[in-house]
Amino acid sequence: MTGPATPVPALEGLDERAGSDFWRRFQRSRNARLGGFLVALVTFAALGAPWLAPYRYEETDLLAAWAEPSRVHLLGGDALGRDVLSRLIVGARISLLVAVSVLALTLTVGTLAGMVAGYFGGWVDALLMRSADVVFAFPELILAIVVAAMLGPGTRTVIVALAIVWWPGIARLTRSLTLALRTELFVDAAIVSGTRPLTILLRHVLPNIVPPLIVRASIGVGFIVMAEATLSFLGIGVQEPLPTWGGMIRDGLVSLRTEPYLALSASVVLGITIVGFNLLGDGLRDLLDPRVRDR
Amino acid sequence: MRSYALRRALGLLPVLLAAVVLTFVANQFVPGDPIMTLLSDRSGDVALEARLRAEYGLDRSLWRQFGTYVAGIVRGDFGLSFRFASTPVIDVIAPGLLVSPLLAGAALLIAVPLGVALGTFVALRRNSLWDTLVVLALVAGTSIPNFALAAFLVYLLSVRLGWLPVAGWGTLSQAVLPVLLLAIPPLAYIARLSRTYMLEVLQQDYIRTARAKGLRRRLVVYRHALRNTLVPLLTTIGIILGGLLSGTFVIETLFNIPGLGRMAIQSIFARDYPVTMAIVLLFTFFYAGLNLVVDLLYGVIDPRIRLGAGRAGRT
Repeated sequence: MTGPATPVPALEGLDERAGSDFWRRFQRSRNARLGGFLVALVTFAALGAPWLAPYRYEETDLLAAWAEPSRVHLLGGDALGRDVLSRLIVGARISLLVAVSVLALTLTVGTLAGMVAGYFGGWVDALLMRSADVVFAFPELILAIVVAAMLGPGTRTVIVALAIVWWPGIARLTRSLTLALRTELFVDAAIVSGTRPLTILLRHVLPNIVPPLIVRASIGVGFIVMAEATLSFLGIGVQEPLPTWGGMIRDGLVSLRTEPYLALSASVVLGITIVGFNLLGDGLRDLLDPRVRDR
Repeated sequence: MRSYALRRALGLLPVLLAAVVLTFVANQFVPGDPIMTLLSDRSGDVALEARLRAEYGLDRSLWRQFGTYVAGIVRGDFGLSFRFASTPVIDVIAPGLLVSPLLAGAALLIAVPLGVALGTFVALRRNSLWDTLVVLALVAGTSIPNFALAAFLVYLLSVRLGWLPVAGWGTLSQAVLPVLLLAIPPLAYIARLSRTYMLEVLQQDYIRTARAKGLRRRLVVYRHALRNTLVPLLTTIGIILGGLLSGTFVIETLFNIPGLGRMAIQSIFARDYPVTMAIVLLFTFFYAGLNLVVDLLYGVIDPRIRLGAGRAGRT
């Protein structure tokens, strides 16, 4: 990552300049800042859930069933009298836990597959990319639904289903980036000096493809949170008594006429989270990807 | 061109086969023994069990079952439903067959023109307050799942104002909210893309030339720029349709609309997996076929793209 579109400055101090430039640009972008703030808020809630939540998420109190928002229950209670605010906070933890797990899985598998395919080419490339094509042949969510139906609902199912849907995108991106790097002089130099392919991939290729992968991942979180909520909304995702935003919206929509708080508050929290990650991702893309920088 | 089309169509075969294999495997691996569920309280009736297993073809080897499955699909036969004993899957899904395409089609008809108009509108007002606000709204529109938006719209329009019915299917007023909600994500997506493409096209030399020779800005935008934004937009129609197909699962479940999407989800809970998988297959075939058509159209509409010359058509 070099500096702005001005001529490249002297090599010494380049990193420092690029770094401070990154922050200056980040702070100037209104939307990226807003996204960063929202993401920080949700992450804080997720990490601190056990301490922040005023009640335990599974604690039922039938006297508080469909309670209106009050001092005792700030966002009211659900059908079983569970505290909505507490469930929303713990829901953030579950939502982000799924997102982080899916990202960890797909970034490992996708990056490795993409680098190997791009670097070695041949039948390895063909095999990996054809299997990616198969996944691409399905509309994303429908494939996730098939996998969820096959494995039976649950948190692990959601993680596996979304990882299956999401890895080919990472693999394709990594492959095209690796293909471009493959012709670089420093890779040739490494080959000529007898470096093993694995070392070349990890030491020379990987560091150069990290920024676009970060962008992809940050935009991906928005998608994964959305997809998890959708599966849980349909009833084939994370199961009760664990709180999920998608499930809370489904429960709330049934009684929207008389008790709107549950569906509305869960929708707001879900919306804020997804928009936050997308704004942050878009902001990072504008900052880290030189091709779209001037747009 | 023709040989390219043929090659692309043949390239579809492995993908379709993969979809068939996946749904077959899914049918095998789903939890529970469907025949035992079907028998329920008569589970001791060995003769009936054997008869049912034979009728559903479950007494044969996996390979034979797979052969029957593939041969059936070619003829439009998706096997028998488990929930409605001895009823062909195709008869179970037939009533909903037109509902989902109708929903998706109506949403597409709303989303495309409005999306292009909105995207062009803000592109011409770049970096204004309008631009910032609309872009923010578009990010929200593309990314917030429509059931979360539904909570607000249903609460406002149905519960508070009482303008529209909460759910159901059959009258025009019952279709307004589902179609609107289904249209929002693609509308926002198209608007974002048209904004980007329009900003890009407006920087081109031929736009400067047109302006330099004295054409009015309005004419340049509509005659020269807009057309060129439509070509890249066409390639995204596949993604948009994929989103709409997935969207029908949610919207139909939400509004209790008797379409294929709701049926696929209900069938998962009823352990009627053949129905779910048949619907998944139909959607996937439709999706793959449509992507092929779009790919080929792309070459027809934009003469700069020479399909079949090497691998230039795909990246």
